Amino acid sequence: MVTLNDYLLASGLLFSLGFAGVLLRRNIIVIYMALELMLNASALALVGFSRFHVRDGLPDYNAQIFVFFIITVAAAEVAVGLAIIVALFRARQTTRVEDLTSLRF
Amino acid sequence: MDSVAWIILFTPLVSALVITLFTQPYRKLSSYLSVAAVGISFLFSLIVFFSPDGSAGFTWIDLGIFQVRIGYLIDGLTRLMLLVVSGVGLLIHIYSIGYMQDDAGRSRYFGALSLFMFSMLGIVLADNFIMMFMSWELVGVSSYLLIGHWFFRSSAADAANKAFLVNRIGDFGFMLGILLVWSATGTVAFTELTHKWSSLALGSTFMTVAPLLVFCGAVGKSAQFPLHVWLPDAMEGPTPVSALIHAATMVAAGVFMLARTFFLFEHSPLALGIILWIGLITSLLAAFMATQQSDIKRVLAYSTLSQLGLMVAAVGLAAPGAGIFHLFTHASFKALLFLGAGSVIHSLHHEQNIWHMGGLQRRMPITFWTFLVGTLALIACPPFSGFWSKDGILAASQGNFPAFCAIALVTFLTAFYMARLFVVAFLGHSRTEHAEHAHESPRVMTVPLILLAIPATIAGLPPIASLFWRVSGHEGSPATAIIVSLVAFVAGVLAGFALYRSRDKDPLNIPLFEYRFYIDQLYDQLVKWTQDLLAGICGFVDRWIIDGGVVRGLSGMTWGTGFALRFLQIGNLQAYAFLFGLGVVVLLYFILFGVP
Amino acid sequence: MSFPPALLELLVLCLGLALLLVESFTEKQDRTLLAYIGMVGLGVIFLILQLLPPGPTGMASYVFDPVAIFFKKFVVLTTIIVLIMSVDYATTIQRFVPGISSQAGLGEFFAIPILTCAGMMWMASAIDFILIFVSLELVTISFYVLVAFMRRNASSLEAGVKYLILSAFSTGFFAYGAAWIFGVTGNTNLVRIQQVLPALGAENYSAILFGALLVLVGLGFKIAAAPFQFWVPDVYQGAPTPITAFLSVGSKAVGFIVLLRVVQAFQSLPPVGDKVVAALIILAAATLIYGNLAALPQTNLKRLLAYSSIGHAGYLLMAVAGISARDSGQAVVIYLAAYLLMTLLSFLILIIVSNYADGDEIVNFNGLSQRSPLLAFGLLVAMMSLAGVPFTAGFLGKFLVFKVAYESQQFVLLALGIITVGCGFYYYLKVVRAMYWQSAASNGATIPVSGLSFATIVLLVLFTFLLGIFPQMATGLLR
Repeated sequence: MVTLNDYLLASGLLFSLGFAGVLLRRNIIVIYMALELMLNASALALVGFSRFHVRDGLPDYNAQIFVFFIITVAAAEVAVGLAIIVALFRARQTTRVEDLTSLRF
Repeated sequence: MDSVAWIILFTPLVSALVITLFTQPYRKLSSYLSVAAVGISFLFSLIVFFSPDGSAGFTWIDLGIFQVRIGYLIDGLTRLMLLVVSGVGLLIHIYSIGYMQDDAGRSRYFGALSLFMFSMLGIVLADNFIMMFMSWELVGVSSYLLIGHWFFRSSAADAANKAFLVNRIGDFGFMLGILLVWSATGTVAFTELTHKWSSLALGSTFMTVAPLLVFCGAVGKSAQFPLHVWLPDAMEGPTPVSALIHAATMVAAGVFMLARTFFLFEHSPLALGIILWIGLITSLLAAFMATQQSDIKRVLAYSTLSQLGLMVAAVGLAAPGAGIFHLFTHASFKALLFLGAGSVIHSLHHEQNIWHMGGLQRRMPITFWTFLVGTLALIACPPFSGFWSKDGILAASQGNFPAFCAIALVTFLTAFYMARLFVVAFLGHSRTEHAEHAHESPRVMTVPLILLAIPATIAGLPPIASLFWRVSGHEGSPATAIIVSLVAFVAGVLAGFALYRSRDKDPLNIPLFEYRFYIDQLYDQLVKWTQDLLAGICGFVDRWIIDGGVVRGLSGMTWGTGFALRFLQIGNLQAYAFLFGLGVVVLLYFILFGVP
Repeated sequence: MSFPPALLELLVLCLGLALLLVESFTEKQDRTLLAYIGMVGLGVIFLILQLLPPGPTGMASYVFDPVAIFFKKFVVLTTIIVLIMSVDYATTIQRFVPGISSQAGLGEFFAIPILTCAGMMWMASAIDFILIFVSLELVTISFYVLVAFMRRNASSLEAGVKYLILSAFSTGFFAYGAAWIFGVTGNTNLVRIQQVLPALGAENYSAILFGALLVLVGLGFKIAAAPFQFWVPDVYQGAPTPITAFLSVGSKAVGFIVLLRVVQAFQSLPPVGDKVVAALIILAAATLIYGNLAALPQTNLKRLLAYSSIGHAGYLLMAVAGISARDSGQAVVIYLAAYLLMTLLSFLILIIVSNYADGDEIVNFNGLSQRSPLLAFGLLVAMMSLAGVPFTAGFLGKFLVFKVAYESQQFVLLALGIITVGCGFYYYLKVVRAMYWQSAASNGATIPVSGLSFATIVLLVLFTFLLGIFPQMATGLLR
């Protein structure tokens, strides 16, 4: 039997994975993927909660609507984000975070 | 009636705004605007003078617990002060047109002068402490602007800063005093306070400390010992400013405030005693200092200090009426003296050293005669105005022998140093080329001199004075007071003449007086000693203490922290993400597990 | 009147889309015309807002209360002024955006802020985590585009990437937090959450607090609260200046209204609400210290304003942390109104001067008072107000915030606030010193100012004083 805790554990792992990826990877594209993992973690958690919040014999669809929105927003974010990263690559020929330190102090 | 007071108050403000915002490039127009504004204030002050008492106001800022009311209170005191401030102000504005003729910053000057008139009238009209305090601060600001009018001279800029900072010390006490009074009575309106304060059943310490804190404001603004150091330096400003602000009106604001809030003081003999002696010490010290100055404006500045000390002492003697009467006469003759000095300085191409003058009586007859009138009034020669008012203060001190002696001594010294000034600067022969080619000032400057000479002569005569101000208890002025005052006056004048007639340099040389009892040096030293002491205690912070005292040190420290913080901002995206994440973890830890 | 308030957002959205359409079908037309159309359109929206009374909307996730109306007006006004700035900034945009015609990209630069404005207006009314999330992302994603708009400018791109990554990072936390709040309460609606919270069992307190804190982190990023503020200086400096102004005023303001609503909802369960307030206090203290201290050594005005915007977030957080006081919300609103006036004023003048002097260092402002007295005076007023000099709007804001801190007995914050105001004086007066006491290094000519900018400057200065001198006006903002 899969319980709510299992879902939450998986989602927590996913979130931590994304979190670690943002902190540890050096390539902006990979960092961006890690960020998407974090969003997916919340989607997973929401779906889990929805499945176990039974109302009148049905799961709570409110949360699943939230999930749809998260997916849509993430897609929009990726579209714009990738465009910016491509523009950056064309201007600077790099996608490494260490190279982006001209604005500081 | 209602609108009259508002017109008096706000016309100069309008003029100040118009001048700063619109007529900056048109210097002539600015000066006329400013004169017209104060002229209107003066006319309406005359109307108020013949109208009955009254008060009105409105709530300006209402934020629940915090309310600011703007209101006026017209009684005998207000009427007299309105007349003094706007009357002397008007003459000095007119005089300024001539004196500041060649000045490029004339618009700025007249703008600040109008701002000053607004704030000074605000003090006079205020019916509550908050409005008075705000006007008080505005007066400080405009005084700062005017002292530093020639800001390109570093001495003027320094003097402006010094005046501002020293006044802040006094104002801080004033503010605390107002807060104490407010917290005890729950009101800041003067009429209400008058009733509430006397029925207040609080400890005598409180009843002494609160008024004394309020008195701090007067110590700063009226340049009483130990905060008197700013006034002589303030003479760096243009001479009409010295006449208006640093002789006739602003410095008298402290005395006015004491008279207005006398109900705070009258129940505490200790507070009155302290006020008396601060006034007397100021008066004596300043009189001694004046005997050894060679700058004409500085002599007058110290004599102002000395006279202000007498007024404050009169309040300390529980005779604020006598103090205000002296304020009234002093305003006319001291403004006259300053304008006369300005006329001399103007025609001698900004020469201020009296030892470079001499022989002016023929070349500048109007200035000479009017200056003589002013001098006679100041040194209390009967029947000039100063005689009557000083006599009032002397009479009030009858019951207090040390105070009586001190005032007599001040009278003697005043006669002495004014005789010295007059003999050296005006009589004898010309000592420099400038003095030889001196010529009378233009009419726009001499007419105010003549107009001021009239009140300086007659304002003290009992029938005329009673029109303006009733000095209680003066009618029965005891013979001893009159005799002592006359003896001191004659002795001072004779001594001055005997010593200084046809001298080219000062026969007396008393460095202690010349260097003003080394009080300024003492303050400088005090700052330095504190620094050295601290430096000794903590050697490693040594550098920033010597480098300008604790304040800059602290700012340096915060600056250093700020500089260090910048290194968190290293520009690396991932470092930011890391710090962000760290922040989240720390926050979660503290809130979820840390706080009980 | 039966005008459904939610129609306003749609109108704004249509306005933005229409501008984009017009842009793509007219090639020869001067692009700044689009900006003027946008301004007029938003002006009409503002008037409608002025007329609409608050009332029920019939929607569970959307409210139209006085606070929402205030914030809607606030963002509409901000967007109009941002468009005015954008017109002044157009030459710089043209230099850094590649294209066939010389005005390539300008149309988008004028249209996207209007779309952002629609998102912000939604945020002002949103009381459901779903709607909050979507409108927040609408705002954020359009800001990605705007920040990185100057594609030939390395700084702008760098700022864009930094904003992109860190903002997405914070969104991750926000969504995860919202998920947990839903998990515990079974609701995404703040009103419902407020109702069900008191019945919550003690075993769930940690979980709900975890969710609330993560949401706080996400919002903390938007309002530039330390330690989530590291993006601010870099992004502010790199972004096109009108967008910097937009970020620092609009984005921050709507962050605060959501924060207020969320914190308010959690107050119904004191054990959790108190800890949320404790977190706010920590954030406020850190923000005050960081913003004000790090601003001290700055020499670039744009960056200085970035740090100052962090500092002001600190004061605003102080007011939010004093949520137990009656006037907390009012203090936030009035502070933000003052903040709008003085910040937009500074940025507007910054754009005009830096366009002319080709640089936004403080030294570029040397001797401004002699060259352009009006600009110098405007910036003087802005700096005085930012520093909190009496009789300016900024003073009123600080006064109310301190009053709230005092009434809610946050004495540590109060002391910190007063000390940091002292720091503020130091770095704001640095700018004033440059303008009034330093002589111009070169190029002593008067700086040309367009009529529209001139009028805006005068109006902003006027309102800065009006709000400071007649504070009753401000309380009227919330009817």
